[in-house]
Amino acid sequence: MKTKQWVYNALVAALYVTVTGVLTPISFGVIQFRVAEIFNHLAVFNKKYIVGVVLGVFISNLFFSQIVLFDLVFGVGHTLFSFGLLAIFSSKQMSLKLRMTINTLSFAIGSFLIAWELYLALEFPFWLSYLSVAIGELVVMGLGVPLMLYINSKLHFSKIMEK
Amino acid sequence: MMEKLIFGRYIPGDSFVHRLDPRTKLLGAISFIVIIFLANNWLTYGVLALFTLLAIYLSGIDRNFFVNGVRPLIWLILFTVVLQVLFTGGETVYVDWGPLVISKEGLINGVYIFVRFILIIFMSTLLTLTTMPLSLTDAIEFLLRPFAAMKMPVHEIALMLSIALRFVPTLMDETEKIMNAQRARGIDFGQGNVFEQMKSIVPLLIPLFVSSFNRAEELATAMEARGYKGGEGRSRYRQLLWTQKDTLVMVSFGLLAVMLYILKA
Repeated sequence: MKTKQWVYNALVAALYVTVTGVLTPISFGVIQFRVAEIFNHLAVFNKKYIVGVVLGVFISNLFFSQIVLFDLVFGVGHTLFSFGLLAIFSSKQMSLKLRMTINTLSFAIGSFLIAWELYLALEFPFWLSYLSVAIGELVVMGLGVPLMLYINSKLHFSKIMEK
Repeated sequence: MMEKLIFGRYIPGDSFVHRLDPRTKLLGAISFIVIIFLANNWLTYGVLALFTLLAIYLSGIDRNFFVNGVRPLIWLILFTVVLQVLFTGGETVYVDWGPLVISKEGLINGVYIFVRFILIIFMSTLLTLTTMPLSLTDAIEFLLRPFAAMKMPVHEIALMLSIALRFVPTLMDETEKIMNAQRARGIDFGQGNVFEQMKSIVPLLIPLFVSSFNRAEELATAMEARGYKGGEGRSRYRQLLWTQKDTLVMVSFGLLAVMLYILKA
């Protein structure tokens, strides 16, 4: 990546942290409605955004988490794992909407890592936390599909990164 | 809110713990979390609790901050503890309601889990209360260095971390301004159901994206104009300094591990 793309990603990370901080008081623990999760869809427009999103997750956990070290490892792990699923199950030929839907499902499925983290750190019941985190992801990222498509129609995320 | 984003949960101070190298605190907290899983009886949990209390004492931070760190999670913790108590079978049964059993073993297990929660949260809180996020990222960058050999772009990651941390307060300010501007136009943030709330963030996100991308563009141009060419041979503004105190603390974590290994059942 070029210097400029690193800098763009740094600002995406800063934006993720800002949105996490401003918009959701309940972002950690079993109940997760983290609005910033809609940023995960940026990777669908251009995979170079992955770096920025992962960094955003990392810093948010560093700032706001009660069980910081667990969240750093598993939060970042969850994001990377889900992007891995996205890469495996989507292709460039698919429509943006379909790829974003796959992305939403990937994050919901991948949230078993968060459930596992909560089980390891605090012995929360695995399936219950899996269900609640996955629902949180489904709701936020699902609503994020039309939202990010609309914003993309104004801003053209992929072009910005490659400019 | 602004302060929370500038400093994370950091509380300025000049105590023994505050002055430790961030690498020591990070490594210490990591090893504590590994060590805590060795504990399995009263003695080992007691030793860990004493160790944690000593660390908190040495940080000079009011204990209320630690209690507040537990508060958001307390109901979940209690819920988990109750589940553990009810579903852990045992020999000495006090109450028997079919599948729900309260036994001596279940109660003891519940207490152990409760103590483990509290200790993990206290230690994590201690780390974030006594170390600025910027220092922590320095420590993380240092620990990532060996991965540079595996072609991990460690310098670029560190660069992004510092740029991101630098711009969080700026974007925060901007968010406040945009929110106020949109409120003046009649948008309610944080009102209504999830759908309405998500819809209300569109007029917030678009200007935020535009202004962040503009900033990124300007910053990247400025960096390139000044001849920025990556990490080779760059010196650092903030230097990490490892002292004897840091060695001492790391040794004490080693001793703690040995002690727990000997004392565990």
